[in-house]
Amino acid sequence: MNKNIIITIAVKDMKAVFSSKKVWVPMIIVALIICIAVPSCIAFFGLQFDLIGTSTQEIEKPINAFIKDFPNEEMRNTLAAFPTLTYKFVYFFLTFMMIPFFLMVAIINSMVTSSNSFVGEKERNTLETLLFAPISIKDLFLGKVLASLIPTLGISFAAFIVSFIMVNIITYPYFEVILYFNSTWMILMFWVIPILVLFNIILNVLISAKVKTFQEAQQFGGLLVLPIVGIIISQASGMFFLSPLTLFLIGVVLLIANLALLKLVTKFNNRNALFQSQIH
Amino acid sequence: MTNIIEVDRVSKKFNDTVILKDISFTIKEGSINGLLGPNGAGKTTIIRLLNGVIEATTGIMKVMSFDPKIQGDEIRERVGIVTESASLYHDMTAWENLVFFSKVYGEFDPKRITDLLQQFDMLAFKDQLVGSFSTGMKKRISLAKSLLHHPKLLFLDEPTNGLDPEGINEVIHYLRKVNQEEGVTILICSHVLHQLETICDSYLFLNKGRIFEKGTKKQLEEKYLKNVDLVVETGLNPLHSCSYKGYTYSRKGPGQLEFKLSSKEEITPLLSHILNESWVHNCEITNRSLEALYFQIRGGKDIE
Repeated sequence: MNKNIIITIAVKDMKAVFSSKKVWVPMIIVALIICIAVPSCIAFFGLQFDLIGTSTQEIEKPINAFIKDFPNEEMRNTLAAFPTLTYKFVYFFLTFMMIPFFLMVAIINSMVTSSNSFVGEKERNTLETLLFAPISIKDLFLGKVLASLIPTLGISFAAFIVSFIMVNIITYPYFEVILYFNSTWMILMFWVIPILVLFNIILNVLISAKVKTFQEAQQFGGLLVLPIVGIIISQASGMFFLSPLTLFLIGVVLLIANLALLKLVTKFNNRNALFQSQIH
Repeated sequence: MTNIIEVDRVSKKFNDTVILKDISFTIKEGSINGLLGPNGAGKTTIIRLLNGVIEATTGIMKVMSFDPKIQGDEIRERVGIVTESASLYHDMTAWENLVFFSKVYGEFDPKRITDLLQQFDMLAFKDQLVGSFSTGMKKRISLAKSLLHHPKLLFLDEPTNGLDPEGINEVIHYLRKVNQEEGVTILICSHVLHQLETICDSYLFLNKGRIFEKGTKKQLEEKYLKNVDLVVETGLNPLHSCSYKGYTYSRKGPGQLEFKLSSKEEITPLLSHILNESWVHNCEITNRSLEALYFQIRGGKDIE
């Protein structure tokens, strides 16, 4: 493993991401809307104007029933203690429903950069030159993974910090607790998301090295969003609760999957096969 | 001169298609060699095999005494390559491209990059995006890129493709310079024969995956130039319509006669005869060009 080569490739790819507005602007916009604007707006308009509480007598019953059946006792008690339906909804949404949104942003952003990694080089006719250079396929692969991991995690963490500040400025006077500052969110941000992003990137880079065009890479990569959509639905229906333990276990499973993928990468360390499949 | 490349009965198959069949050749250190043949003849495959990026089905190869199959990285460290497409990052400047590739080769040296940009007359454009360059400028940067790590051997795959005549002359000029000043051995793949005529020391002719002839131009001439076609620009008006002093001729245009001679030795006496009677402004052997030789060689060989 040659650290200098890995860093050289990663820096080159990151520069390419941030020199093209068409690439980095959508990445920032997605994070800005989903991780910052959505929770801030829900918190601000919900609490400030009591949007839900005024004309929702008919939906109060099912929501209260939902709270009553909620699988987590601590959350059930906290929600039950709030005076209005708006408080319940905003608190529930921010502490609970935002989790899959953060996961989704991490997945989308990592896909944008990683699915382009090898196929992008191929489409620019530069993969051939890289394969003619005295660098190992493993170093090339690791450079590509690093080039996707750093911007994705950077944007996810930055979005979390900004969202944390915005949401708490708006909600603290009402709830008098600091939101996002608990074990669930810490495990999510600093355990699950880095491992999930790494998993997604390794998988996408592998796909990118196997497919012929960027479009194909995106199609395959897009499938990875599906489990997150599943989590959103299960969260919203109260079917499945992302407790700290569940999140920790998701992280462990993903970590094992990462190790399996890395094993696959070492098998893939064959210049001959990559060259014959990608260069014509 | 020692052999820098040795290829012995190498074959390459993709699935069931035979790309190269039993090819053998050697390349001398410090020489410039042309690997010539039509599109699809297998020229690019030979370069890829020699670099160890694909593996031969059978046969033995040595590049600087290394085996491409198992010592590919040792070869790639010492070899420069210019692929058919310039293979540069269009969203990066010329300088950024060269810095990136020098780091990839583990030989980052700003002075070397500056020297190469100067050598290829590109220093003034170093901060411009490669995407804004003409094909010729990209080729020059690509050449500079291939020399960053002081290679001993340089492979060029169709280096003149897409270039105008001026660009072709420039590339030929730079290649000669690199060969003379840095002692780099060069192997050029091309299907445009006349462009390489002035630069190559020896040639390999390839068709349908087989090398059907090889040698220096002199060797090829001796072997295949059986008669001499000499076009003379002269005021001579022979009385006979197809023969002059025993030499067969035909009229090519006003003031131009083409003589069919059996050897070069007949040129001097023929010119003496003509000069006794009229003026001579120019004379040229027309069937000794590389292209003419190529067609003669192909014509006389079963190259299927």
